[in-house]
Amino acid sequence: MIAQFILSILLAGIVVYAWSEYARSPVVAVLTLLIASAGLYFVWMPDHSTQLAEAVGIGRGVDLILYIWVCLSLIVLLNLHLKLRTQMELITALARKIALADARPARAQTERRTPSSTFAATAVDAESRSI
Amino acid sequence: MGPRSQPYVVIPAYNEAPVVSRVVAELGRAGYAAAVVDDGSRDATADAAHAAGAAVVSHPFNLGQGAALQTGIDYALAQGAEVIVTFDADGQHRVSDISRLTEALLQERAHFALGSRFLGQAPNLPPLRRALLRAATAFTRLTTGLQVTDTHNGLRAMTRRGAATIRLRQNRMAHASEWLSQIAASGLRYVERPVTIDYTAYSLAKGQSIGDAILILLDLFARRLYR
Repeated sequence: MIAQFILSILLAGIVVYAWSEYARSPVVAVLTLLIASAGLYFVWMPDHSTQLAEAVGIGRGVDLILYIWVCLSLIVLLNLHLKLRTQMELITALARKIALADARPARAQTERRTPSSTFAATAVDAESRSI
Repeated sequence: MGPRSQPYVVIPAYNEAPVVSRVVAELGRAGYAAAVVDDGSRDATADAAHAAGAAVVSHPFNLGQGAALQTGIDYALAQGAEVIVTFDADGQHRVSDISRLTEALLQERAHFALGSRFLGQAPNLPPLRRALLRAATAFTRLTTGLQVTDTHNGLRAMTRRGAATIRLRQNRMAHASEWLSQIAASGLRYVERPVTIDYTAYSLAKGQSIGDAILILLDLFARRLYR
């Protein structure tokens, strides 16, 4: 019984996590939600897992759970990858701002350099982002 | 866009010190303003480009060609450019092709003029690379619905209005498909014009490989999984 309670709490945690991720990546959220719910069900109905495992051609219910666990790990990995990409976009935006602020105008134009050019760049950025 | 608006040439460059000054000087002689986006090069790309007469925007570290192009477009827009041209730093494009694209913008009232090596010429294009480019073109046609003949050509001209609709988020090489999907989404008129690509040992060594193509597909796939 203790093992079942601990597993339930952990799986419930994953359900909440999946729910909170929905706004960012619906695909990942729904997959995680489905798998965690199935896990929750089988923790309390181990016999059903064995029946299902036999039905799909896997020997024991434990093996089925193991396979599900592997799938879950892969999805979490995918989610991390997507998060890293989102972070990269933020880093890119930041680096671009810095690059534009430190831009070196062409030599011939150096005399009439305008200090407001960076602000103009920011305005363009905001403007085109709305499209 | 006015009839006499001066095209602003944006050149993304990563470790191109040996060739970038020649490209910039050639553009200068033709009367074009040039902005080189130094994408975190470890060599003297930025100084060489600046000495040759270009404006230089330097990324603090390497972000990829897509990011560099977007930075260059932002810079050119901030400088008030009415026409923006993207141009490769490795000398594979011909300066004389630029006017063909910018004239096409005016004559066809288009907002994008895309260079195509398959309408034009690509001497010394290796057969494997040709097959890879054909495959990429077929893939892009399928996914964007644009009937273009060359999706991975770095030579493009666009109006200010066109440029403002471009927001590249694929930092790495997958940006080529992103250009076309955003052009399609903008609903603005685009044309293709033949251009010549000069394949040299230098540009071939820096070009894309089959391995890159697989990475590009993965990038594009990942892009569809989240907002």
